[in-house]
Amino acid sequence: MASTIIRRLVHMVAVLFGISVLVFLIFFATPGANPAERIAGKNASPQTVARVERQFGLNRPLPIQYALMMKKIFITRNLTSYVNLGEKVVPQVFKAAPITLSLVAGAAIIWIVVAIAIGAVAAAFRNSWIDRLLMVLSLIGISMPVFWVGTMANLFTQGIWHHTWLFSWVPPLGYVDFSKSPVLWFKSLLIPWITLAILYIGLYARVLRAALIETMQEDFIRTARAKGLSERQVLLRHALRCSLVSVVTLFGLDFGVLVGGGALLTEVVFGLQGVGYLTYQALETLDLPMIMATVIYASVFVVVSNAVVDIVYAAFDPRMRLRR
Amino acid sequence: MNPLLEIVDLAVSFRTSNGLIRAVDGVSFSIAEREILGIVGESGSGKSLTVLAILDLIGDPNAVVTGSIRFRGIELIGQKPETLRRLRGGAIAMIFQDPMTALTPVFTIGAQISEQIRIHTDLSRHAAQARAVELLDAVGLPDPHRAAARYPQELSGGQRQRAVIAMALSCNPALLLADEPTTALDVTVQAQILELIRKLRDDFNSAVILITHNLGVVAETADRVAVMYSGRIVETADTGALFADPHHPYTWGLLGSMPALDGIRRPRLTTIPGLPPALDRRPQGCAFSPRCGFVRPECLPAPPCLTGTMHQAACVIADHERAAARNQVLAA
Amino acid sequence: MSTPLLTIDRLSKTYTTGSGLTRAGKSLIRAVDDVSFTIADGETLGLVGESGCGKSTLGRCVTRLLDVSSGRITLAGTDITRQRGAALRATRADLQMIFQDPYASLNPRRRVRDIVAEPLIVHRRGNRATVSDSVRRLIADVGLRPEHLDRFPHEFSGGQRQRVGIARALALAPRLIVADEPVSALDVSVQAQIINLLTDLKRDRGIAMLFIAHDLGVVRQIADRVAVMYLGHIVEIGATEQILAAAAHPYTEALISAVPVADPARAKQRHRIVLAGDPPSPANPPSGCPFHPRCRYATDICKTAMPALREMADGRSVACHHPVGIDQAA
Repeated sequence: MASTIIRRLVHMVAVLFGISVLVFLIFFATPGANPAERIAGKNASPQTVARVERQFGLNRPLPIQYALMMKKIFITRNLTSYVNLGEKVVPQVFKAAPITLSLVAGAAIIWIVVAIAIGAVAAAFRNSWIDRLLMVLSLIGISMPVFWVGTMANLFTQGIWHHTWLFSWVPPLGYVDFSKSPVLWFKSLLIPWITLAILYIGLYARVLRAALIETMQEDFIRTARAKGLSERQVLLRHALRCSLVSVVTLFGLDFGVLVGGGALLTEVVFGLQGVGYLTYQALETLDLPMIMATVIYASVFVVVSNAVVDIVYAAFDPRMRLRR
Repeated sequence: MNPLLEIVDLAVSFRTSNGLIRAVDGVSFSIAEREILGIVGESGSGKSLTVLAILDLIGDPNAVVTGSIRFRGIELIGQKPETLRRLRGGAIAMIFQDPMTALTPVFTIGAQISEQIRIHTDLSRHAAQARAVELLDAVGLPDPHRAAARYPQELSGGQRQRAVIAMALSCNPALLLADEPTTALDVTVQAQILELIRKLRDDFNSAVILITHNLGVVAETADRVAVMYSGRIVETADTGALFADPHHPYTWGLLGSMPALDGIRRPRLTTIPGLPPALDRRPQGCAFSPRCGFVRPECLPAPPCLTGTMHQAACVIADHERAAARNQVLAA
Repeated sequence: MSTPLLTIDRLSKTYTTGSGLTRAGKSLIRAVDDVSFTIADGETLGLVGESGCGKSTLGRCVTRLLDVSSGRITLAGTDITRQRGAALRATRADLQMIFQDPYASLNPRRRVRDIVAEPLIVHRRGNRATVSDSVRRLIADVGLRPEHLDRFPHEFSGGQRQRVGIARALALAPRLIVADEPVSALDVSVQAQIINLLTDLKRDRGIAMLFIAHDLGVVRQIADRVAVMYLGHIVEIGATEQILAAAAHPYTEALISAVPVADPARAKQRHRIVLAGDPPSPANPPSGCPFHPRCRYATDICKTAMPALREMADGRSVACHHPVGIDQAA
């Protein structure tokens, strides 16, 4: 077991190294994209550019530049932005991370719970009108663009219906730290959570329904029935447990991607200054240190959540444990 | 004495776009307490469906079951789901062909057995688990404590089938339905499992319906045999009588098709020409008539009924003609 | 004595399993371990054993569908062990295979006509007209009718599909066919038809066969000689009737006694040996004789020394320290 974990950690570090080198090369070694020219500003004289190059160490060999940047990100944590000169990048990411994490984790709880409920009900009433209705609804959920849903939600909860009893509790857009007021934190995030969750509810409900229906054809389901289990017990105990594996796989990828900045649109629509928002801004201004920092943060999350999924996998399905 | 289970005129049909197709057609038999009944037939003969129908486990919404299935005098066809559920795994248990896929892969053997015990008794979790270990020991699994803590895929095929049997026996069933329990196993393991099944009536007082395609398996295990062909029982008798004096040409064909391990090696096996009829294209008369070498006009209008008392066969060949006809098939 | 058609000399096939960067995490499985035998022209050797004994792996090595780890395969005087490319393709014309599941081995999108013609076309045997003639003849030889030519595999029953598979294997007039459990997926009555077909074909065409099966009755019906495998080793090999009448290896003895007999009167008289436990895993074989933990005759020597396959006075070979019913003096 210990060797498995060590192997996994080595694997993670290797993946992170690969990603960081790749991103570094894309932004620093692409011909015609000299970062010094960007920092020096438009129409800067060659002398200015040269001075900037020296100042930022951009004239040194690429491996040194890469090592310096990694040192500034991970060890000294004093990497500064190229755009807002002097502003440190790492603390910004650390400030944005809890916002994104709050948004995605809350949404994830909602979508997992609701999707399992919908998937199980649809599979239980397969081919009936309940099943069809639920599947049409989830298809609608998948097809609605998240920024549109968010804008609509804002329109109703912040605008036209804000003064009705229904939505008068909704606080103004923006994030309230959990430590400041848990209640307000919850209220400010509830609508974004639902907005973000809708797409995934639709997706996961459909995947789970398909997996459940497939599992219900297995021999061991017939054994479970022959034991005298009720149809509900067969579905919830035997079939669901085996079908959740496909959902866990999806969840690991989706969660990592969202925490890593994939919730950008939701963050923008609801004015949440999360990692996605930060990446978005950095890309607009081509703020390379900021891009490096957010990309590395994001890949850490994707890789870590994948590792967690593998462990959860093994917990759910002993077949995976044995395969090692 | 009343039989334990009595089936009268059982039919299983499927609704299809071409109308109703009869997969099991007028099957009647009964089984006494502690009796082992073997049902033999090839794929598509309806033998599995017959047994699945007993507990309403066919699991196809298009299946229609008619006739009568009485267990200890209680009619099971059309019975309330709740009553059937209490019988399943309780008084009537079932084991299936493929032990590789018959157990849920995500639960331990012990958990799956104690789950069944807890459905049918009010034993505590702990007591049920202890009983599960006892059962695994009783079916001859080595190191039953460790086996209970294992997942199905950690056991070999033979061990898994023992675990499945232990689970089926967990509530002392009066009747065990075994659907090809040894087909997926190697011969040496099959011999172990058959020995275990023969012992059930002494250790657990269970009657067994053993479904198989292997005449050797019934010959060595069953007290009584029913041979099925194309949805009907074509011959049924005590095992000794059936093998000593088989009545139906299909039974002859089956016996002749089996390569023997001893005696003279026949240069060619006896074969039954052609294939069983598709269920929707069954002839009007005897379903075996297109493959039978002894067809007569009276075979064609309607399928012959099972006649005889102890040894019944659905065939028009008269007693005095039988030996000659059989020799024609089996000596060829 | 003439040279045999096929000679297998000390053939081994090992696999490594398990993941991991280090060697420690892997385990070595000897699926086939130091196996030697020959098949004469026109002879059928039955290869029996239970699942996991390595009989299918051996069959796949012989047809070169798997690469061997060590040892030598000689077909008609040619060493085919490491053949590749054109040479291997030429060998395949002499060496065909029939599989257990005919459905999985037939392309579902092609008609029978094309399936059977394919080897002829690939090996450039004849022009369009002669290929068409050959296909018709082959189809008739395996007991199918001309109207079957334009059907797809899914339109056939299991037995008919196996006939198509046999027709394809016969197309190039091979000298050796490796048949891997060709009848075990079929119903008894259909199984008998296919066994009779194979019996006729080997008699009429003089094709040699390596017939892999787990059913001793089937093997007896078709094989001239039989080899019994246990955990990657051949434990007994000799004339079929000789071995089935009186097995010399305790495993063969148990295997024969485990086969259920369709005769209750005889079944009662039979002395049944029920082996305890399951065959051990090839990843973790026992020391000494692989059969000793389940053997009722095992002594101390069986736990330490692996018995070699030795020829007995009656012509058969047995790998056992205490062969049943045979005097040790030989």
